[in-house]
Amino acid sequence: MKDTIVQGLEQAYYNLVHMIAEFLPRFVVMLVIILVGLVVAYALRHFLRALLRLTKLDRVSEDAGASRVLRMADLPSMTELLSRSVFWITWIGFMLIGISVLGVAGLQEQISRLFRFLPEVFIAMLILFLGLVIANFLSRAALLASVNAGYRSAKIVSWAIRFVIWILAISMALEELGLARQTVLAAFSIVFGASMLGLAIAFGLGGQNLARQALERHLGESAKEKYKEPQPL
Amino acid sequence: MADETFLSDELLRQLMSVGEVDLLVGILSHSSANTMRRAAHSIENSLQQNFVRQRVAIISVDGGAVEDDDGEVSSGNGQAALSAHSKGLSTLRTIHRITAGFNGAPSPGLAMRTILSSSDLLRAKACAIVSPATSSTSPDWIANLLRPAFRDSYDFVSPLYSRHKFQGLLARNLLYPMTRALFGRRIRELYADEWGFSNRLGAFCLNEDVWHEEPVRTRPEAWMGVSALTSDFRCCQVFLGEKPQPTAGSGPDIVEALRQTVGSLFWCLETHQSAWLNRSGSEPVPTFGPDHAVTAEPMELDRARMFEMFCSGVKQLEPILQSILRPETLGNVQAISALDQRAFRFSMDLWVKLLYDFASAYHHSVINRDHLVQALVPLYRGKIYSFLVEHADSSPTEMENDCENLCLEFERQKSYLTEQWKAGVEVKS
Repeated sequence: MKDTIVQGLEQAYYNLVHMIAEFLPRFVVMLVIILVGLVVAYALRHFLRALLRLTKLDRVSEDAGASRVLRMADLPSMTELLSRSVFWITWIGFMLIGISVLGVAGLQEQISRLFRFLPEVFIAMLILFLGLVIANFLSRAALLASVNAGYRSAKIVSWAIRFVIWILAISMALEELGLARQTVLAAFSIVFGASMLGLAIAFGLGGQNLARQALERHLGESAKEKYKEPQPL
Repeated sequence: MADETFLSDELLRQLMSVGEVDLLVGILSHSSANTMRRAAHSIENSLQQNFVRQRVAIISVDGGAVEDDDGEVSSGNGQAALSAHSKGLSTLRTIHRITAGFNGAPSPGLAMRTILSSSDLLRAKACAIVSPATSSTSPDWIANLLRPAFRDSYDFVSPLYSRHKFQGLLARNLLYPMTRALFGRRIRELYADEWGFSNRLGAFCLNEDVWHEEPVRTRPEAWMGVSALTSDFRCCQVFLGEKPQPTAGSGPDIVEALRQTVGSLFWCLETHQSAWLNRSGSEPVPTFGPDHAVTAEPMELDRARMFEMFCSGVKQLEPILQSILRPETLGNVQAISALDQRAFRFSMDLWVKLLYDFASAYHHSVINRDHLVQALVPLYRGKIYSFLVEHADSSPTEMENDCENLCLEFERQKSYLTEQWKAGVEVKS
């Protein structure tokens, strides 16, 4: 009995030592990979930050209105955000590679799934950024055109354009990620359809007179009604 | 030497058949054949009366054709018949007519380049550009534009007009004072439909690699004028007479006019910055005839709407104006937009600061440049409203004094612009 226990303990001790002897080099390799990853991520962050400052990305971002959205969300500037993102993505990538070296069976499958998912995340982020830039540009163009034409609801027009493009961009990004495809499609259809129906009802019922005046102004424009300004040149 | 690759074979054939000329008159137009015909006849009259011994040619660039009196279309290399309206004088030489279509997307810049190339190939000593609207005016216009370049060796001949006191307000309140203060030469009409130039200036402009740029494509005359001012070409002004008003709906609207002219001016500031950054003051240029003339018939204008559009523009464009104007300038603009209509005045000091802020913001590209220029429209309306109220009963002399004071204010505050121009852009992060 005693011998069996001692033998069992010896076996357990032997197994533990064997496991540690097998695990420790892998753990050291993992640590080395993570440390190398940290150095590489730092280097990449500094290089990218310098490059983006050189290309004046912050100015483009300010122009596109992306910086304003970042400020509203209490986030740093576009250059800082991108360089930090690259740092974390690189380092997490190295960490995952390091963890996979440990050889834990279930974990490896999850890690490989995560790696397969990364390109879609990048594409979704790109869609969102482009959506933001396009929405800002077009809404500003609409605002300027409406203000200069003397429309009183210029801001509403501008916001409507911005809203529709955002909804479209978010839907496309979620579609790319494959998240709740049916729900996103249904939500987009409902939001877009409801907005258009709401506008149609509001304009048709609530603004009958306004609609008539607008149509008269555009279709039956007379010289008397036209706003007169001095010839600029 | 002209880059002939963009000239069509048909145009080259016409140019070769003409040979060499002393004078060339170019008509820039997208107008109807009738308008073109009237313009061509007016030009012929002028040439027959004033340049009897010179070899002359008329080139029209619009892709259309010039119809003859009987309604037939000229073959393009036709020779003008003696006008029935000529006063007993006729040219001793043939007046050649050349028609050119656009070999590419039509634009005033391409038309201008075609005329410059033709002038270069024909070795014309002087060239005048006119718009078909000129057809309604005296034939003296063409002679007045050509003579200084042909006989007095001037390189750039800018027109002067008699105007209604409330017409040409963009030129009076912005384009003239700003170009004068920055480029240091007192030329009133850089954005005109008519002007003249020498072969020297024509060849210089033709060889510049800017023809693909949007400001040159839309307003080539302004770029040509600024090039003449900044490259020490000999410039002068000639008084032509009353400026014909465009028929209703044919002229550019206020937004389009600002986009084209102010956009072009800001672009010229950037491309010619070495010529103006260290320059101060301004000097007059030789002028033939009176240097200004103002008429004052009653005119129907919707001033209240103009003021309303200024106020709503300042309010609704606040986020855009924040990125263009300095905080104190924006604060002052917002303060006057809150004033009662009767108490409202747009001071010279604020107007100049505002424009210099816009020019600097354009240089630093703080937002899309076309959007930036469009954001100026409501503010311009405010300035014009103020101008109309202040000068409702002003005499021409009072208006001229006011214009001179505005020019001096632009010159006085030039250092404000140069400081901002040279400073790095502050990116809010």
